[in-house]
Amino acid sequence: MYRRLLININQVRNRLIHTHNTRLTLPSTKCKERESFAPVASTSLSEDKGKTPEETEVNAEVNTDGQRNTEMNEGTEISNATLTSQLETEPVVKPEDRKQVEKTKSGKESLLELLGAMKVEVTTVRKIRPSKTPRMSERPDQEPMESTHSMFQRATAEGSQQHGTLNPELVAAVSAAASTLPNRHQAESELLKQLRKHEAIPDTQRRADIGHIISDMKVGKRPNGRSNVRPTSQIRFDDDGKGYTQDRGITSELDGVRRRKSPFTSKRLNLFAAAAEQDALSDLGPTLWDIDLANQIVQATNQMPRNGFEEMIQWTKEGRLWQYPINNEAGLEEEASVPFHEHVFLEKHLDESFPQQGPVRHFMELVITGLAKNHHLTVQQKKEHIDWFRDYFRQKEDVLKEAEAYLN
Amino acid sequence: MFTVIRSKEAVLQALASTVNRDPTASDYRFQDDPYLTPKTSSEFKLFSLSQESGRNAAKYFISTYPKYFQKDYAQPHIPCLMPETLEAQIEEVSEAALIERIQMRKVKAAVDLYDQLQQAGTPVSLDVTNQLLDLICFYGDCDPAQENVPEQRNEETEDVQDEPQTKKGRASKASDKLKAAWKENNNAERIFALLSEPNTHSYSALIRGMVKYGAYSKAFSTYTDLLNNQLKADVSTFNALITAAPEVKEKYNEKWELIVDLLKQMAEQKVKPNLLTLNAVLKALRRCGTVGKSQAFPVISEMRALSIDPSLASYNHLLSIFYKPGAPFQGQTDILQEVMNEVSGKSFTPQDPDDAQFFITAVRICLDTKDIEQAYRVHELLGVGENWRLLGNDFQQNIYHARFFSLLCMMENIDVVLKWYRDLVPSVYYPSSNVMRDLLQALDTDNRLDLIPQIWKDLKQLGHGNRQTLVEELLTLMAREKQNQEVQETFAECALDIKKMYDTGDRGKVMMSWTAGSLSDLVSVLLAAQRRQDAWEILKLFKTHNRVPSEELLDKFLTCIKESGDVNQALELVQISAGFCLPGTPKLIQRVQQEFLLSEQQKSMLSDLEIQTFNSD
Repeated sequence: MYRRLLININQVRNRLIHTHNTRLTLPSTKCKERESFAPVASTSLSEDKGKTPEETEVNAEVNTDGQRNTEMNEGTEISNATLTSQLETEPVVKPEDRKQVEKTKSGKESLLELLGAMKVEVTTVRKIRPSKTPRMSERPDQEPMESTHSMFQRATAEGSQQHGTLNPELVAAVSAAASTLPNRHQAESELLKQLRKHEAIPDTQRRADIGHIISDMKVGKRPNGRSNVRPTSQIRFDDDGKGYTQDRGITSELDGVRRRKSPFTSKRLNLFAAAAEQDALSDLGPTLWDIDLANQIVQATNQMPRNGFEEMIQWTKEGRLWQYPINNEAGLEEEASVPFHEHVFLEKHLDESFPQQGPVRHFMELVITGLAKNHHLTVQQKKEHIDWFRDYFRQKEDVLKEAEAYLN
Repeated sequence: MFTVIRSKEAVLQALASTVNRDPTASDYRFQDDPYLTPKTSSEFKLFSLSQESGRNAAKYFISTYPKYFQKDYAQPHIPCLMPETLEAQIEEVSEAALIERIQMRKVKAAVDLYDQLQQAGTPVSLDVTNQLLDLICFYGDCDPAQENVPEQRNEETEDVQDEPQTKKGRASKASDKLKAAWKENNNAERIFALLSEPNTHSYSALIRGMVKYGAYSKAFSTYTDLLNNQLKADVSTFNALITAAPEVKEKYNEKWELIVDLLKQMAEQKVKPNLLTLNAVLKALRRCGTVGKSQAFPVISEMRALSIDPSLASYNHLLSIFYKPGAPFQGQTDILQEVMNEVSGKSFTPQDPDDAQFFITAVRICLDTKDIEQAYRVHELLGVGENWRLLGNDFQQNIYHARFFSLLCMMENIDVVLKWYRDLVPSVYYPSSNVMRDLLQALDTDNRLDLIPQIWKDLKQLGHGNRQTLVEELLTLMAREKQNQEVQETFAECALDIKKMYDTGDRGKVMMSWTAGSLSDLVSVLLAAQRRQDAWEILKLFKTHNRVPSEELLDKFLTCIKESGDVNQALELVQISAGFCLPGTPKLIQRVQQEFLLSEQQKSMLSDLEIQTFNSD
């Protein structure tokens, strides 16, 4: 049961820090709140606190994730509620207090620090994944929190006879915490009362419990339970000072009703069998009608580029721009299938019709050497080049023979 | 090891996704030349149209004189930069030539060639004939107009365009809708009759053509023909027939029964409906009155069960079924909410030409029902993914923003309105004078009249500086209440600026004429700012423009003069008042006599005036 409490405490400590930070920036104007179309779940906690209940209700109704919003509401309640519990068990957690309470056992300090660090992780898990379980009464494992609560009562019963003096630092913390609440004085005095009662729990019991906690730490990672737990007797405050926050159940229930009634889930006409297979009609590619439909869609929509990159995308689609990533073989797809030796070893084209030796042969060897190094021409063009010379020399065969240059 | 094959645009898409809209910049297409950054909506229209028409002119020349544009510099070859071949290359009478003419969409030439082939006894394959039928039916047996319809279709200022093109573009547009009708025994029907064994495709072409060109009952009889020939229709035929269904029946429930009948036949023939079927049914339901309201959702559920997800066009039809423009709303506000619940956060791809209507319809309903929260959701949806493309062309964008902004002015407090104003104007939206009046009213309701000089600057830039009603409203707002000194000072500057607007009437624009109301407002503003000399100048304008100042104004003026104790001016004021023969002149004289220290000469002058006014009465 202490384990649960500790989780709570850490959670609350985190929240408190959070609320403090956001409190400072809280004077977010009405305008700011309204502009946030999608309420960001992680930060709207304190903002919700700042709102009047009506506003919250409106938001909850309107937002798509109204569910989540009400959860946030509830989160505030919890932070209010568990605030007291944090202060009750403050000595266990707060480092400064810990030193005083547990002077002897300094070894446990480090353990506790470790513990604190781990628990912070637990809370973040919960924050990221807002739970889906809607109501506390529906959850099967509700007894842990209830037992926590009864533990309070037991603890208060135990400690009621002792009126120990409170640590001034604690008092300061209490008043700081209370100042975050609207009904400052009342909250403060209540907190202090609870604190005094709790001072009395003997150290030994705590230590034993801490040892226990460390032994089965893993169990604390419950991703989905925490946010829905709400101590029943806790008074929940809201900023408008009316005292009680409105019951979050109402809006979520209404939401549920609405969702169930959604006309989009109405019954179907039942004309078609679901698995109706289309007969494979002869597909001759897009017909004129299909092209026209595509054209109409393009005409109806906004195809104007909004920035340079989008314009480049358009150009790429039209084929006007070099494609990214840059590839210097773009447009040479046909050439890609030609192996390099076709380009380089061109002797085989000389064999048949050129003389085997002599100046013409020598000349042609120079030509193919040049061609082999030319990367601008395709293999086909190189062949054509050679063919041109073949024709030329054939035409001039007589002249060459006369000059004894054409040896065969 | 493993290379991921990405599309050739992937890199650019990733880069493009990093660029956000800059509310201080103008549209991308105007960024090349800062001199041509549009400041008013008419400039916006003019500049974007001229850009487009320049492109069209270039294309026109390339297409008309292709022989001058044969040099291919690009490597690899870029087909879209080369002139299109518009002349048929194959001269002989053959099926290949027919195919070529079909691809070039030359209806008349293709029909002629087909006839020649028939006369020569050359058989033409069924596929090619079907393609020919497609072509004829699609263009309604007329040659298509040359295809360079300008990008902008919301043109009033299209006079910059090339004369012949405009005519063609316009004429074809109009004729598509009005003149062109399905003619009895046209070439399509003739060629169809020649077919020995028409197949589904042939029938499909014919029926779609008939529906497109308004021969609805004929389309249905052709469909009966098809059934008699033991053939099955295809999905596009059914879509066309569903579109035609509301045209052939009178009563709402008869229309709906016909649609259901068609759907049943689809199921019998094992034809799987597609998204266009859904949209056709919903569009038809728009014309089925109350039946539409009861049947729209079951239709959607039916299609969902066949794993056809509605597109924005479907939702648009749905909204139109439930919210008729001008009709009262009876508890249907939550239909919009339901629709928004469905679509929120989804990114849509264009699938139907009607997709682009959704945002306009949705925001219209928001405006009609004054539902600002839903309007925000609609606007939010616009920012998801590529949804902005579905807002449609410039004209639709303008309508959308106008409606959205009017709603903001009506429902939001002024800070929020101004935030949106700074965000939208003028980077995406050039407000009309009506919308600016809404903004002024919003300023008025939230008591932020001190922002008026700022708004006036924008007004001038947006080209509304010469809208008389708007300017007069501005003056009235400034004159109505007394503000603190600083604000009054800016008001006075603004008022003098407005006065300049009246004086110059620049470059052939409509001149504004002074009214008694605007002049006295102007005087009051100046008086409140203790600018007596400027106010005095304005007061003289009453005379030059033949307007009569009110008594209260003169009274106010006199109070102001008294503060400075300028006796001469007080006397002049009285003289002006007497000049207008105002009934309040004696009171003014009395006030001057009582409140000012007068010399003998002045006293006598006043009493003269008193006698004069007395006599004239």
